[in-house]
Amino acid sequence: MRRLLNRVHWPLWVVLVLIALALILPLVLPWTYDQIDWEAVRAPAFSGSHIFGTDEIGRDRLARLAAGTQVTLMVAIAAALVSLVVGIAWGATAGWVGGKVDEAMMRFVDALYALPFMFIVILLMVIFGRSILLVFIGIGLVEWLTMARVVRGQVMTLKQRPFILAAEAAGTPPRTIILKHVLPNIAGVALAYLMLTVPQVVMVESFLSFLGLGVQEPLTSLGILVKEGADDMDMTPLGLLLPGGLLVIILVCLTIEGERLRDTFS
Amino acid sequence: MSLYEIRDMAIQIDGKQLVEGVNISVEAGKCTAIIGASGSGKSLSCLTPFGLTPGEAAGSIKLDGIDLLKANAHQKLKARSYLAGFVFQQPLTALTPHLTIGAQLKEAAAQAGPSALSRRELAQKLERVGLSRADERLDQFPHRLSGGERQRVMIAAAIAHQPKLLVADEPTSALDASLRGEIMTLLDELREEQGLAMLLVSHDLASIENHADHLIVMEEGRVVESGATVDLIARPHEDYTKRLMAATPRLDEPAPDLPATGDVLVGTKDVTVTFPKPGWRRGQIEAVVDASLTVRKGEALAVVGGSGSGKSTLGRAIAGIGPLTSGVISWRGEHLPERRDRNLAMRALIQPVFQDPVASLDPQWKLRDIISEPLKNLRPDINRQTREEMVFKALCDVELGEEYLDRTPASLSGGQAQRVAIARAIIAGPELLVLDEATSALDPLVGSSILQLLAELQRNKEISLILITHDIASARRICHRIAVLDEGHIVEMGEMESVIGNPQAVATQKLVAAS
Amino acid sequence: MLALVARRLITAIPTLLAIILASFFLMRLAPGGPFDGERPLPPETQAALQTAYGLDKPLWEQAWLYISRLAQGDFGPSLVYRDFTVSELVAQGLPISLTLGGLAIALALLIGVSAGLFAAVQAGKAADKTIMMLATVATALPTFVTGPALALLFGLWLGLLPVSGTGEGWSWLIMPVVALALPVSGAIAKLTRAGLATVLKQDHIRTARARGLPETKILFKHGLRPALVPVASYLGPAAAGLLTGAVVVETVFGLPGLGRYFVQGALNRDYPLVLGVVTLYAALIILFNLFADLIYGWLDPRMRDG
Repeated sequence: MRRLLNRVHWPLWVVLVLIALALILPLVLPWTYDQIDWEAVRAPAFSGSHIFGTDEIGRDRLARLAAGTQVTLMVAIAAALVSLVVGIAWGATAGWVGGKVDEAMMRFVDALYALPFMFIVILLMVIFGRSILLVFIGIGLVEWLTMARVVRGQVMTLKQRPFILAAEAAGTPPRTIILKHVLPNIAGVALAYLMLTVPQVVMVESFLSFLGLGVQEPLTSLGILVKEGADDMDMTPLGLLLPGGLLVIILVCLTIEGERLRDTFS
Repeated sequence: MSLYEIRDMAIQIDGKQLVEGVNISVEAGKCTAIIGASGSGKSLSCLTPFGLTPGEAAGSIKLDGIDLLKANAHQKLKARSYLAGFVFQQPLTALTPHLTIGAQLKEAAAQAGPSALSRRELAQKLERVGLSRADERLDQFPHRLSGGERQRVMIAAAIAHQPKLLVADEPTSALDASLRGEIMTLLDELREEQGLAMLLVSHDLASIENHADHLIVMEEGRVVESGATVDLIARPHEDYTKRLMAATPRLDEPAPDLPATGDVLVGTKDVTVTFPKPGWRRGQIEAVVDASLTVRKGEALAVVGGSGSGKSTLGRAIAGIGPLTSGVISWRGEHLPERRDRNLAMRALIQPVFQDPVASLDPQWKLRDIISEPLKNLRPDINRQTREEMVFKALCDVELGEEYLDRTPASLSGGQAQRVAIARAIIAGPELLVLDEATSALDPLVGSSILQLLAELQRNKEISLILITHDIASARRICHRIAVLDEGHIVEMGEMESVIGNPQAVATQKLVAAS
Repeated sequence: MLALVARRLITAIPTLLAIILASFFLMRLAPGGPFDGERPLPPETQAALQTAYGLDKPLWEQAWLYISRLAQGDFGPSLVYRDFTVSELVAQGLPISLTLGGLAIALALLIGVSAGLFAAVQAGKAADKTIMMLATVATALPTFVTGPALALLFGLWLGLLPVSGTGEGWSWLIMPVVALALPVSGAIAKLTRAGLATVLKQDHIRTARARGLPETKILFKHGLRPALVPVASYLGPAAAGLLTGAVVVETVFGLPGLGRYFVQGALNRDYPLVLGVVTLYAALIILFNLFADLIYGWLDPRMRDG
């Protein structure tokens, strides 16, 4: 655990601070994210109790940013975990069993890779209604492909490693070999790719919300805020720049951290 | 004045002094060889003067009258292209994958200045290095050629511009044992024919001693000893050289005194292993075909063959860590089932040791847990305290101390890691060890100490050994008998001394000749 | 090589069919239909419309009808844009989307490969680190943020470029193409840089150096092609990414491309339109992957045998 903590660098701290702010701010701010201040529509920044002003119908920007960040990151983490579980299960099975099974399983992944997946997700959203649960199941089911490929590659190389054979010769049962030898050795890489999946998912979720297909009102997310900001940008540019900037900061930080982790482990 | 003369050379990388006080001279038409373990600075000393390593050289380096150290970048480039040619260790990766053999040869020939070699002339250059169907090969990409063929192309390219000096950095060590002799002979011929000065680098004394006129022994960045090859081998002065000589097994050394053997322990009858072809293609690849052999109590059997001969596959089938398609493996006359059906008692009888010692140990585990892994599974009757004692004792058996218990594999040298792997293999008291090239990834001195350790285990614990190797000479030091594999078939088997004294099969003859 | 192309094209057909069928049935599983307007239509009209568009037949029959018409190039009528067939809408939207996507990938390759090359030559220096940091930032720039932000800056504030619609000349293309190309160019720059870093350490580069070749020749003749292999394998996913990005960009900049029709169609349950666009997208992506495979074989002859 300490080894892990030592590996946390500034980009991840930025994200952690943002998460903390997103969790704490709604508790201390005088406005909730959906509360309308009739006296202050499109208020500029630092007017009264609205630090970042209000949007075109008088809702506090900061409160909305906090709420949007919460939802976006929650969806992202949940979906990334779904992709982690599915990806590891699929990739590890293919890699461990090998042979024709592996061939078939990976062809399937290749085929899915070639699909215009975003469109299938959009279709799903349209068809089954726009629930937040579906958003992250849908996204998680798309994003597991890379994880499966990576894990499969790792398991394939590990399986050839003499220490696995030595464990077999030492009478270690297959279950224990997988739990004690294989998984600990792929954990680092899996973690790195988990970290890289989170920004991917943030991107997808915001994209869907931007098109009006993701998170639905009254809930809000960074994608929705960007959309609202873009629609009203000729009047109040801040409405676009704040959520857009926040989104980019989160994406950049997570990507840097994920790539750094990936380079350390592989 | 020699053609190539290095005086008092020192080499630094990032401010770190790696090589010091090195003198090398190579005469036209002669061969000087540098020998040393990995990390001794031998390759660095050969390649740095030409700007082929990140190192900085100091001292005096003169090639055909040009001082390479005082030369500017342009002159250095010219010296590299006009005067010297290079052959490297890895023929598989030393050629550019997306350019045809012809294109690369043409590029090499053009070093000496713009030349318009005809296709016929290029093909002749390939023929000279012993490649058949030369014309056809000009249009091929490197990956279509075998390792030996690629090394011939490398040699053809290295001398295409008729350099005066040929630098060969471990030219044969990545090749199969049976090919090594042919490549070295080719280099000798070319040297004589073209009056080339040759600077040869190797870690393996046996493979070069008949080809080098002058020998330089290096250790840890310094020259230990140098002199004419004949003198140096007959009368080494320095301790390191003596140990190196002793560690280099030769077929003409006296036969070792081996412990007596008992009853037949393990036997295989018509063991065949086939693999499905990769991908969706139909058909099977036959890795081992109808292999029958026996190993007695206390006996060591050498299973020898080139790469791809099936020797590792056979070893793994016996050890129960690889597939078995058909045939029978028996233990003291009783049937020993295949891989998944072996129970713990059967597992306890046979333990493997592998080639790459670092990859043999789980990088996430401590040595304590690594060594006790077989005990936990195979001897559940033993309590924790006894287990700890046995781990400690196993460490002592492989001549390592208690302080190693809490270390991780990453902190070990290759030799130490291999000792830990052996400790793990012997801790549960097996009667047979299957050693798959257990010394070939190690430096000669380290490898020979591991071999010695095995000989002691053989003597003190009466452990039987199956030694899978490509190196007959070192196998001879501990093995009673030998089985030679070629393309999956056992082509020859018998007492070690009689087989190497009078090899019958072609594969055996090649292997013996290469030793 | 030809065999590879043939094999890929043959396997593409079942893939395409599977996509079409999956999308077809998914759409029909959905609650609600294309004729649920704001005011409910009288039942007779509903039934008449259903019959007219063949929606009252069994699902399998509808699917079969659809596919057999598709084989003749007929995508069917649009249910929402009632005066147009899907083919007409697609014919209108496809050129715009292809122009956008084609220009974006060309721009991304140009910027990405040259930036990656430059960074690799400067390895370890400040220029290398700056370029790589910029590339990471670029990959993390979603088109739905950069699009509006560019429109705000160059359109509304500076008044240099048109904010919406196709308009005159080609200046309307600049912002959408840049917004699309930015993340892809960042990824390509990183892949090129990483590829070169790996390749330049390999043995065959040392062989070339030992031949006394000048560094630029080593880089371009011996180094670049194998280094671009990862870039080639990224082209497939990049194409998919660009098509998705195009949906946003077309919405943001008000361009009548395929992406906009897709979103409109999906929101309005215009089955034939959505199916048509998905089919086209899938075909485009499959084609692009094939193209990437061919480049792959050129970059590394070992792939030609596989």
